[in-house]
Amino acid sequence: MLTKKVFYKQSKKGTILKIVREHYLRKDIWCGCKGCVKCALEEKDMILDACPVSKCSLLSDPHYIFLDTNAVLDQIDAIEDPYLENIIIPQTVLDEVKHRSSSVFKRLKEVIFDKKRKIYVFVNEHLKATYIERRVGETVNDRNDRAIRKAATWYQEHTGVKSVLLSDDIANREKAVEKGIFAFSLSDYAEATDSATLSERLCAKRWSERRGEDSTDVFPAHLPPAAVHHGLKAGLLLQGVFYASKENCLEATVITDKHNVLIQGRASLNRAIDGDTVAVELLPKEEWVAPSNLVIESEEAEDEVKVEREINEEERQVTGKIVAIIHRKWQQYCGILQLSPIKGHTYHLFVPAKRHIPKVRIETRQGEKLASQRLVVAIDGWPRHSRHPQGHFVRALGKIGDKETENEVLLLEHDIPCSKFSDAVLADLPSNDWTITPEELAKRVDLRNIIVCSVDPPGCTDIDDALHCFKLPNGNYEAGVHIADVSHFIRPGTALDKEAALRATTVYLVDKRIDMVPDLLSSNLCSLRGGEERLSFSCIWELTPNAEIISTRFHKSVIKSKAAMTYEAAQAIIDDVSDESELAQSLRGLNTLAKVLKKRRMENGALSLASPEIRFRVDSETHEPLEVVSKKMRETNSMVEEFMLLANVSTAEKILEEFPEVALLRRHPEPPPANFDPLIKAAHHQGFEIDISNSKKLSESLDKAIKPNDSYFNVMLRILATRCMLQAVYFASGVTQRSEFFHYGLAAPLYTHFTSPIRRYSDVIVHRLLAACIGADATYPDLMDKRKTDKLCQNLNYRKRMAQYAGRASVALHTHLFFRERIENEEGYILFVRKNALQVLIPKYGLEGTLLLSSKDKKNPSPFVFNNDDHTQRAGDIVFHAFDRLVVRLYVDRSNVQHERLIMNLVEPSIPGFSVCSLGDLVPTEEEQVPPPQVIS
Amino acid sequence: MELLNDQGLRLDGRKPDELRLIKCKLGIFTHTDGSAFVEQGNTKVIAVVYGPHEVRNVHRAKTSADGAFVNCQYSMAAFSMSERKKRNRGDRKSTEATIHLHQTLAAVIRTELMPKSQIDVFIEVLQSDGGNFAASVNAATLALIDAGIPLREYVIACTASLGTGNVPMVDISNLEESLGGPTLTVAVLPRSSQIALVEMSQRFHLDFLEPVLKMAMKGCDYTFKVLDMAVESYLSEIGKPNNWGQA
Amino acid sequence: MAGLDREDIGDKSVSASFRLASDRISLLTPCEHPELYTPGQDIGPETGLLRGHGTYQDNGRIKASVAGVLEHVNKLIMIRPLKSRYNGEIGDVVVGRITEIQQKRWRVDANARLDAVLLLSSVNLPGGELRRRSVEDERMMRQYLSEGDLISAEVQNVFSEGTMSLHTRNLKYGKLSQGVLVTVPAPLIKRSKTHFHTICGISLIIGTNGYIWLYPTPKSTEEGAGGFARNLELRVEPREREAIARMQCCINALAESRMMVYDTSLVAAFEVANKFSVKELLKPEVKLEIVMLTQHMMGLNC
Repeated sequence: MLTKKVFYKQSKKGTILKIVREHYLRKDIWCGCKGCVKCALEEKDMILDACPVSKCSLLSDPHYIFLDTNAVLDQIDAIEDPYLENIIIPQTVLDEVKHRSSSVFKRLKEVIFDKKRKIYVFVNEHLKATYIERRVGETVNDRNDRAIRKAATWYQEHTGVKSVLLSDDIANREKAVEKGIFAFSLSDYAEATDSATLSERLCAKRWSERRGEDSTDVFPAHLPPAAVHHGLKAGLLLQGVFYASKENCLEATVITDKHNVLIQGRASLNRAIDGDTVAVELLPKEEWVAPSNLVIESEEAEDEVKVEREINEEERQVTGKIVAIIHRKWQQYCGILQLSPIKGHTYHLFVPAKRHIPKVRIETRQGEKLASQRLVVAIDGWPRHSRHPQGHFVRALGKIGDKETENEVLLLEHDIPCSKFSDAVLADLPSNDWTITPEELAKRVDLRNIIVCSVDPPGCTDIDDALHCFKLPNGNYEAGVHIADVSHFIRPGTALDKEAALRATTVYLVDKRIDMVPDLLSSNLCSLRGGEERLSFSCIWELTPNAEIISTRFHKSVIKSKAAMTYEAAQAIIDDVSDESELAQSLRGLNTLAKVLKKRRMENGALSLASPEIRFRVDSETHEPLEVVSKKMRETNSMVEEFMLLANVSTAEKILEEFPEVALLRRHPEPPPANFDPLIKAAHHQGFEIDISNSKKLSESLDKAIKPNDSYFNVMLRILATRCMLQAVYFASGVTQRSEFFHYGLAAPLYTHFTSPIRRYSDVIVHRLLAACIGADATYPDLMDKRKTDKLCQNLNYRKRMAQYAGRASVALHTHLFFRERIENEEGYILFVRKNALQVLIPKYGLEGTLLLSSKDKKNPSPFVFNNDDHTQRAGDIVFHAFDRLVVRLYVDRSNVQHERLIMNLVEPSIPGFSVCSLGDLVPTEEEQVPPPQVIS
Repeated sequence: MELLNDQGLRLDGRKPDELRLIKCKLGIFTHTDGSAFVEQGNTKVIAVVYGPHEVRNVHRAKTSADGAFVNCQYSMAAFSMSERKKRNRGDRKSTEATIHLHQTLAAVIRTELMPKSQIDVFIEVLQSDGGNFAASVNAATLALIDAGIPLREYVIACTASLGTGNVPMVDISNLEESLGGPTLTVAVLPRSSQIALVEMSQRFHLDFLEPVLKMAMKGCDYTFKVLDMAVESYLSEIGKPNNWGQA
Repeated sequence: MAGLDREDIGDKSVSASFRLASDRISLLTPCEHPELYTPGQDIGPETGLLRGHGTYQDNGRIKASVAGVLEHVNKLIMIRPLKSRYNGEIGDVVVGRITEIQQKRWRVDANARLDAVLLLSSVNLPGGELRRRSVEDERMMRQYLSEGDLISAEVQNVFSEGTMSLHTRNLKYGKLSQGVLVTVPAPLIKRSKTHFHTICGISLIIGTNGYIWLYPTPKSTEEGAGGFARNLELRVEPREREAIARMQCCINALAESRMMVYDTSLVAAFEVANKFSVKELLKPEVKLEIVMLTQHMMGLNC
């Protein structure tokens, strides 16, 4: 049967359009109940129980639950709780939710997807019996409510089981009762069940109904959306993303199209949270300020902000205040509970682990139990009168300080998928006794007789790459890089492929490695282990002795690695003059060529930067960190690196040529000159000039900036330079301008990732593209879609970033654990000088920490004076500049169990009243110094 | 808005393999040799055929002793879309449709039986809601049958596309066309399963061509059945009073 | 909603009636029918059968190429379409209009696939005798018949490609003067012995090609409908005009309901139509009534 939907829409020009659409009404929409005789249901569609047991004390009869739109939108957390089952969601509600909030819609869809919840989506709009038309004068909302009630009544008649409508709209409930359906509000229903967690998760919105506290407004009101829209159009307001400062909780930046606007002060911040899209109004020029040099860690320290300081004209930045929030980007946050000082009170403050999220007020009766646990909390809202945003408890993770818990928090915060591989994924793996079949061998080039070897860090099980090199009769060299042929095992569209695409990279934590692909592939079938025949993807060049490329060819091959060596072992073979085996000659050839390649790269302007490279030596049983060891760089490291770079560059050229729209490449944009300011200033203070006009000049300036008696100085400069860089990112070639393709750091016009498919998903995609280039494999639709590739790149970049942060956080965590048991005095260098603190780098541990210079004790004020012009701190005769050497004392302060901190105290140079002596006692000031006992004559 | 929701229904409530309601009428004008009106969903098309007749002066050059000259014209009424838009006869879309129509009809009209004459086929789209060209081809076929012009057989056209999750969908409405991706139009000769014209609006991967094409051809088969029944019923109507010309 | 009649506005009597398309009634209803074929439908194997019009051969089978009724005469298989253009046969009387003057011939539109030709040598020149067509005659062609003139003629010959060759070598054929032309679909005309009728007080020429010419019966037999003379001075009585108009409406009514148009059916229809005033005959309901009564009168089953 056919009806039509006629409605009027206003086009952009302002003309009224009449839209006529067909709307087919069917008879074959089923009810979804098991054992229903009237409907011709298939097995998989029988979702609802025939006799759903009531879990609520309000109604003891078996009943199905109908959800109204407002109930879904407001109480999505309660709905996510697995307690409620046998729920019917009419299509009207689903469409409305999708229209109003896409994030709630996504979560609702996931809940529906869970078979155990027995949730059925009923297409009431297309069933003849339940379709209704809007009456004259009826609003759209009323019509939708009527449709939901009609669906509920139909179900009651059709199945004989009662329907219960859960809605927060009083009028809707009344009308439903008139029709003979039971109706309650979701909160009443939830409270009448015996689930503890369900009522906890109810939205905070209802609190505002029964709160009796006084409601003085702390914040200015937000502008209504119409005013915001008007303001944006008129140019009076700017729209941008809100980034809270990690160091100063009362400062933030909003990045708009035109400027980066500085926001200072609680009133200006006006309840925005990191990640929100906000509307900001610029302050008049006279009120512009400069970013505070303070490090404010908690709000109690805010009172110190009142200290006005002289601000240089040139330091003033565009400043503004936030007038409205356009789009909230609230997520779930990890953190701990700060118990309310009043006993028996159910309102507590939740302290998020991330410093740029403010504390959240939650209500929970389990306060005592949760005080020692790490929690996950979601924010509901931030009313004007409340100092803190309000939220609710989602779940607990485990005991604080427990290594396992902390590890889990780490992974959660960095959104790292770390669950076990699902059965579907494992089903896609080949069997354990897989071997290379003759058919497969026939399709490939047989390179098993070539002397191929791999060089990797010790203890490495996932060997991606192997090399070979030998001299050709014409005097040139043939060199080849063989990469594990992962794309042969991971076929597009399979569960394995989807999981790998989601994970995007292997995450390396100090004590754990979270693999991108299951172990069978990463450590066995794909890994190019020594002595085993393996499938590989080869890139082979003919090179002159001067490492110029004569020709390049790619093919799928089978290799047999002669040896899987460590860097040290390979170096030993090269250095051993007596070893004239083919393997040694191959390694020496590679080494020589690599040196030429490196020199050429440096001449072209490639940068060699540094980061504090350290590794923890971990106890094999307790997994506790034993010792910190720094990584040593040998020639063989550089050898492998050069050939990997060459392979990546050759691959990039090939896939771009063949697929100009969908090639997955990697670029590194040039940092804006402003990024280099801290580096230039710091070097300038030490008497060196850094030229940043291009990467070559930068490289040369860094090479020249050496202090003869301080070897670490150059390293520190390079570390600083690394901080100035932008991130390298993956991109799809059809989506970016050609002029942006270059890689600044490597000084390469084109670059991609090809050489590590076992631990990076980008390499798998590049393998597939390259295979299509050489005709070894077919393309598939998603590979050729540049929008899909672009989306994939965004996920890859995000996951890579998160993995990096997680790795660093893991190192920081282990450092913390390491220092729990000991106190050390170590050498350190000042990285930055701030107004109330010094940022100090400890090279031995690769650790960066804050040495607070200010003092909370009024009786013992800080002896330091900050000089803004040359960025120094003075105390008496002693001046601290950037790059100065210190000795500090490190220990972990465990006095506050919930907030362990790594404390740094100054040891050298010795400053009375501030620094500590090597035993830990405070060096007394002159006044306190005990006068030497007088000699009584 | 997604083209195919989780319950397997499209935006207007159809399943992916269901066509819209088809209505047609032959012989709507009395002063023409052949005419037909076809409705597919909300798309409404009139086709009018004149001929075969002597080649008119303008087209004198195209007189051919091999067969008839088929003169097509495809145009959309100014009121056919949501916004009134007056189109000139010679605009690009109409010209392209005209050429395609010509190609499609030339495949079935037995022009060799009518040398030196001219057959005019005029299409007017009264309401456009997706599948305009397909409905035009169908209407043209019916009008030609009404005019008694010898044809090899029917030529039926239908559209198909890919819905969410790469499920082939048949008979695309305007809303689905503008929201979704590529639309494939195919004109077939149903009884001999030959393809007269294939046309596609955007691009999709080769892997999908077969399922989508199959779906479109299934749609053509169903449309053929409906139209054939309509022709038979029409014939029986108009033949009765004069006993189908039999003595 | 019935038709709205607005009569007698002031001095003028205007009658306007409106009908909705949804109210349209048709006498045409689907019913029992003989074997109908549609284009592309399979008729039978090729062996042993002769292919006629409306069929073609494909892959060893004979298939229909038009929509119509199957006719077979012994081994000859034909499909006759229910609607088509006029197919000329030798001896048919047709009414046509001059479209073009070419060298030594006129082109005549006779509702067929191709225009018919009327050769200069096929007409009776004034003077009547047979004489050689001179150059002067050629130049004078326009004086005899010019573009737009109606003629009645007989089909002398049909060329291979379908073009008819006409002749007016009879006094009854020639240029037509005052009268009314009515067009009906060609298949509705029955082939009969004579096509010149005088019925119900008027004369008509029923052209086999579907063009029917109604004209007042001439007083004297001398002035036949032939020749090139055209008497435009002739005064036609109102009575005759009315009769012609009534006949025209009858013909249209029969044609719309797809009844065969020939002298008997026209006489019957005219008789029935006498009940109504000529104005009323334009209304659709009246037309239907006429058709029904005519069918009844002629003993045809509805």
